[in-house]
Amino acid sequence: MSAELGKALQAGLYPNPVLSYEAEQIGVDGPSGTSTPGEFQGGVVEQRFVTGGKLRLSREKYLRRARVSENLAMAQQFRVCNDVRIHFYKTLAASDILSIRREMVKTAEDSAVTAQESYNVGQSNRPQVRRANVVLQRARLDVLAAENAYNQAFRTLSTLVGVPLCMGMVEGALESTCPVMSFEEAYGRLLAESPQLAAARAKLAVDQATVARENVQWVPDIVVRGGAGYNFEAEETTAVAGVAFDVPLFDRNQGTVRQAQADYARQRQEIERVELELRNRLAMIYQQYLTGMQHAQEYAEVILPELKAAYRELLESYKERRVDWPDVLMAQHDYFDARLTQVDNLLHARTQEVLIYGYLLHDGLMAAPDITPPGHIDSVPKPR
Amino acid sequence: MSQHESKPNSSERRRFLKTSALAAGGALYGGLVGTNAAAQVHANKMTDMQHGDKLPAPLGNPKSGRPAGYRDDYDGFSRFKPSRGNDPNSEFYLGKLVPGFRDVGAGPAPFVTPDLEKLPWKMVGGVKEFHLVPMAVEREVLPGYKLNVYGYNGSMPGPTIEVNQGDRIRIVVTNELPEDTSAHWHGFELPIQYDGASELTQNLIKPGKSFVYEFDIHEEGTFFYHSHIPMQEAFGSVGFMIVHPQKVFDPPVDRDLGLIFQNFFIEPSQSIADSWRMDWNWQTINGRSGPYTTPLVVKHGERVRIRIMNFSPMQHHPIHIHGHTFWITGHEGARIPHSAWVPRNTELVGIAQATDFEFIANNPGDWMFHCHMVHHMMNHMTRQVGPRVRPDQSVDAYLANLDQSPGVKLLNPDPGFKTPGYPQEMKGMEMKPDFMKRIWNRREVQGMRAMWPMSVMGLMTVLRVLPDDLYQIVMESDQPVEKGAVFAEIVRRFGNPSDYKSAPMMMHDMS
Repeated sequence: MSAELGKALQAGLYPNPVLSYEAEQIGVDGPSGTSTPGEFQGGVVEQRFVTGGKLRLSREKYLRRARVSENLAMAQQFRVCNDVRIHFYKTLAASDILSIRREMVKTAEDSAVTAQESYNVGQSNRPQVRRANVVLQRARLDVLAAENAYNQAFRTLSTLVGVPLCMGMVEGALESTCPVMSFEEAYGRLLAESPQLAAARAKLAVDQATVARENVQWVPDIVVRGGAGYNFEAEETTAVAGVAFDVPLFDRNQGTVRQAQADYARQRQEIERVELELRNRLAMIYQQYLTGMQHAQEYAEVILPELKAAYRELLESYKERRVDWPDVLMAQHDYFDARLTQVDNLLHARTQEVLIYGYLLHDGLMAAPDITPPGHIDSVPKPR
Repeated sequence: MSQHESKPNSSERRRFLKTSALAAGGALYGGLVGTNAAAQVHANKMTDMQHGDKLPAPLGNPKSGRPAGYRDDYDGFSRFKPSRGNDPNSEFYLGKLVPGFRDVGAGPAPFVTPDLEKLPWKMVGGVKEFHLVPMAVEREVLPGYKLNVYGYNGSMPGPTIEVNQGDRIRIVVTNELPEDTSAHWHGFELPIQYDGASELTQNLIKPGKSFVYEFDIHEEGTFFYHSHIPMQEAFGSVGFMIVHPQKVFDPPVDRDLGLIFQNFFIEPSQSIADSWRMDWNWQTINGRSGPYTTPLVVKHGERVRIRIMNFSPMQHHPIHIHGHTFWITGHEGARIPHSAWVPRNTELVGIAQATDFEFIANNPGDWMFHCHMVHHMMNHMTRQVGPRVRPDQSVDAYLANLDQSPGVKLLNPDPGFKTPGYPQEMKGMEMKPDFMKRIWNRREVQGMRAMWPMSVMGLMTVLRVLPDDLYQIVMESDQPVEKGAVFAEIVRRFGNPSDYKSAPMMMHDMS
């Protein structure tokens, strides 16, 4: 954005006058018959007078480009913030998964002890005890994997925040508090507020200014020059003056005007392309968002309460000596396992929600895009 | 011969028993559940059942003695103490033909089915007319455990139909089930059209429709009725049908008791019986499971008949009575001639069979009376694993927070696990206070040992043989009786008090 403002400044600067010293016909004979230092020795001032409002248009163009940069900067800000939000929830989910995995290890330990107890009364055999031990070891490996995943999530979060964080716990809730948006609401919000789209629309204004700028390029600047010196032949002080300008006989900047017009036309289509591209990405993200929300809601309202109730009922039945303990452990495992799935559901819904509320922007560590897509003209060193 | 009309109102019956106890000489048996308020209040207050090594205070009046005017010794067999007699060929051997106290002229002893009612009847045109209604029934098999089954007239098993040999009976069966049914009169030699075998002999009775069965009774003995739709049978559709003989069976009995043994499969956390199952995990006697089965309380020296009918879908039951040797005097087919009676301690009663046991209650005490199949002596057998076999664990810790497991020690600290096979004893079922109150709030169990409900489960009940004074306290009064007091008194009078210890611990929820 600053660069564009600099360009705007530069583009609007008036041309400097040119001072020159001129010596003409050195060695011409003077009235005394001897050679003189020249017919004329003197200083000349030359000034280019810019016509057609070229400088104003150029500055306007670059100011509009600064507006494009402003939108792109906002998009980049969303990319970074969305990444931080998403990875915060990923870290939170990793933390939840770790604690649930630790509970599931207890279930596996209980199953192993239960298998041993069953073995003691002849109701399980040695392979069954071994298999229970294997299940336990796998559960322990799952805990280690969950610890590793949590550490990686925390480090990633620390990287995205850009500040070194001490390893610790994150606090928050995975459950969404935002209202569920319909697809049309989400798309309408994108059309109205997306920084990407705003940038594309601002870029159209730039291209419009470019056309205007190129349209006056053919208007000739007037270069006026004048000065005073000494005429050694006439032996008196004399003056010089001149006016020059291009005659737009052949080059009326037709090609560049056409190119600018083409860019303008292309940018109008580019806005439509961005709209379609956003709709396309939103379609995929929205279905994931909706699926995640539906799963999370159903798990929260039906599946988890039902599994929890089944677990409680089996515990109470066991207390009344009506069911075997392995049946209770199975129900406990099913409940804990469903809680793992619910963490996935919530994370999935949250991730997509952040993207939807954050205009589908992510990958904040990638370089921000330039305002000029390939094929557009630019002006250096004097921006035009 | 008296005609019996049922008295469904148990409180009226209870009052009748109390006020007429002396006049009736104890010949009537109060087989219904005592639920009067005074008894409940008393049961709630009984907390002082721990006596250490001492016996509870004496109870009753031992000097009231045995009934006067009755013969005691029959060829070496005593009706008041365990004895066999002098000669196996004697007609009094093991009390075989030793009569009860009841006079033959008084007609048959009242037939009592604990926890079940009798089907009322009225005489219509010289015919005893009954109204039997097959219907869906909710039966409370244990306090708080309600079972959805089929039965009759709001009861499972159905109410007892009681008639006399020579009666003509009419049974109007009105189907209140949501499906077709029929009623079969098991064992009766009746006209084919009333046999009730579905479709073979009659069209099924549609829901809401009635069918009238009418026939003469020329048989006598123990019979029953049931639906002839197999799955309805497995779902509980059965009831006693007792025919009293024109000539009272000799020797006369003082007690005539009926028990229907059934079993069902019920999933945990389920109340609807699964009639399709090939295994059976819930056991009932007259629609109740031990310890909610009502003990059979009789007087010392009485002659007792117990008619057992097995209506389990596919389980035979070896029925065992402790402390007594009984005679097999009849099956559902007929009364057995004296010469063919068999003495037993355990009798296998097969599916759809009924067997009559008779004996002299000459051994006072609270005697186990049960099916001897190990898996029938409890409901819902479960494996002995999990918190209940771990010394430092309880299910409550799991219930306290369902989202977190309290965890387990990887080595069970119980040293018993060093012994292969340990544990075999079923451990750690909690009986809730409400449950225990319902168990104890019955007169039939007053004065039993404090821990008795822990041992009477499934197809189990108790035969209580009580001296006359203790019987009167338990069954014919509202007198508070301390836990274990009646049992201790019997030990005091008939056993060895110096060796007796009262229940070793107080169950926290038994008061």
